[in-house]
Amino acid sequence: MERERFLARVRDALAGAQVPPLPTDLPPPFATGDGRRFDRFAEELARAGGEPRRVPSDGVAHAVAELAKDAQRAVVGADVEPFRAAVEEGLRRAGCEPLPATPRAAASADLGVTGAVLGVASTGSVLLRPGPGAPRSASLLPPIHLALLPEERIVAGFEELVAAWPEHAGGSSQTVLVTGPSRTTDIERALVRGVHGPLRVVVLVVAA
Amino acid sequence: MNGGTAGVPGRTFEQRAGALLARPEVGRNLAAAMDRSVALRDAAFRGVDLEALRAAGEAIRAHTVADLARYLEQWAEEAEARGTTVRFAADAAEAVAHVREVVARRGARLVVKAKSMVSEEIGLNRALAEGGVEVVETDLGEHIQQLAGEPPVHLLVPAIHRSRAEVRDLFARSYGVDLPDEPERLTRFARERLRERFLAADVGITGANFAIAETGSLAIVTNEGNGRMCASLPPVHVALVGMERVVPSFRELAVLLPLLTGSATGQRASTYVTVVGGPRGPHDPDGPEELHVVVVDNGRSRILGSRYRSVLHCIRCGACQNVCPVFRHVGGHAYGAVYGGPIGAVLAPLLEGVERWGDLPFASSLCAACTDVCPVRIPLHEHLIALRADVAAARAGALERSAFRWWARAWSAPRPYRLLATALRLAQVPLARGGRIRRAPFPLSRWTRDRDLPAVARRTFRERWRRGEGGADGA
Repeated sequence: MERERFLARVRDALAGAQVPPLPTDLPPPFATGDGRRFDRFAEELARAGGEPRRVPSDGVAHAVAELAKDAQRAVVGADVEPFRAAVEEGLRRAGCEPLPATPRAAASADLGVTGAVLGVASTGSVLLRPGPGAPRSASLLPPIHLALLPEERIVAGFEELVAAWPEHAGGSSQTVLVTGPSRTTDIERALVRGVHGPLRVVVLVVAA
Repeated sequence: MNGGTAGVPGRTFEQRAGALLARPEVGRNLAAAMDRSVALRDAAFRGVDLEALRAAGEAIRAHTVADLARYLEQWAEEAEARGTTVRFAADAAEAVAHVREVVARRGARLVVKAKSMVSEEIGLNRALAEGGVEVVETDLGEHIQQLAGEPPVHLLVPAIHRSRAEVRDLFARSYGVDLPDEPERLTRFARERLRERFLAADVGITGANFAIAETGSLAIVTNEGNGRMCASLPPVHVALVGMERVVPSFRELAVLLPLLTGSATGQRASTYVTVVGGPRGPHDPDGPEELHVVVVDNGRSRILGSRYRSVLHCIRCGACQNVCPVFRHVGGHAYGAVYGGPIGAVLAPLLEGVERWGDLPFASSLCAACTDVCPVRIPLHEHLIALRADVAAARAGALERSAFRWWARAWSAPRPYRLLATALRLAQVPLARGGRIRRAPFPLSRWTRDRDLPAVARRTFRERWRRGEGGADGA
């Protein structure tokens, strides 16, 4: 009833209104350049305060160990596959204790490790898709978020992102596009990084 | 609108603006912050074909709003298919009732809230507090305003008028802490305090920037991560969305997201775009067990059928506020309504009537900077002019009407026009100095109180034309 009345009011207000067509070609917001996608991705991510690192596939464990050396506890999402073994090896080398992938663990971890389903070169963003075994809080609560992104999943711009997003959104109750660490400019417009979300975001781009 | 104007006395814009202008630090803080916002926006769009982007943004919004019922219906069906509870609220009272019902059923005591202008519009915080529920604003600026007992002063940067020292003092008073007045330290303190609240909360309340019809999802755009927290940690998530915020599909977000974030904060992409598509799945380790979305009309359908429809294209970026010469001096509280600045001066009288907010369309120089900057090309200054006519039609007394009727008649015919010009030229002799009238008797005194009135020229154009004169008037 409530809905019918509501929609009827909207329909009545718009009775006889011309509906202009949706534009067929949408302009690309930001030039994507023709250089290597990783270079552009890295430049934009750094601009947003994030830390891009490119490693060969056999260098994942080493990079994780480097990053985890000051961390005591880490929570690792199931979405890090196919790099799970390398991530665990890296944590072991750093003496960092892996916690179960639960929100409670994420709240006490110093490091959250997740996968990423997509990277966007023109903005330095990564698309995260939490789900079974991969809590939303792993990329949200720990002060450091490490995302693993296979290099071939970097797309040029938002056009490709929005083409792929519906499928991911259909398959998960929450998807999130992350561009660098959380930030605010609420006090005198001064930029402060690290508000409620992570203080550091490191994206490990794994070369094919 | 129940936002009110805590801290700023006065029943009219003029009175409130007067009170704010008497505090020069307000204008100083504001102007510095706005200059920074404008510079950041310009930098974000450098090298971008912004006009093409704006045209596309306008076309997307015009299409969707003109076919709103269809898209709303599609959105609701898709959302429900994914387990979301959808409610429609005709007005503020219904919207508040829906939220209170959820909060009461869950026996919630603590609510964490991300920024939502719709919640300000419907007076949600007060309603929940009256029911004994603690509501904690978690956006840093909004939290600062909540501690001060004031509504937000700007769409995007709620405490933009405050200095770091004021924030430090506010934290000292509210939390009994002694912090240095460094934004970094103040922010870190708020992070720790609010983290406890996020983890303890029974319900998270957010707004939504876009409702995506194709998948029944909501897109929530934030930088601090508080929106993600509210949508991920508490067992219940309630989202409030103005009914006009629908987009057909993800595709349009490729244009609307950069327009929003570039115009709002000068970022190419905001830190988080959280797409919420339903409550947690059966195997998800976290996320809310229940997702409730309240779609709010609250006066919007009236606008839909009027010549002001395009104001519903607004994506709430705040860019019009940053460039407005009036807003830059006095800030949002002078407007008194939930929405301030040019967008507020149009929205408030339309949502709540010209009787209450009829003075807001006059709080503008009509310079059209707002229209030039609007990412979806809403002709804000044209709406302001049209609204002034509406206000005049509703308000002007019989005497004023007949005076202007006579004026119009006199100026439409050559003889009375010449007579009137001559009469004015004689009448102004005791008043005019150097081509200007600085003080005039009532009713012109209303004009000359704040600005000079140009004097009538000594000789008319026709006289000079007859004599074959060129150049300037020999005043």
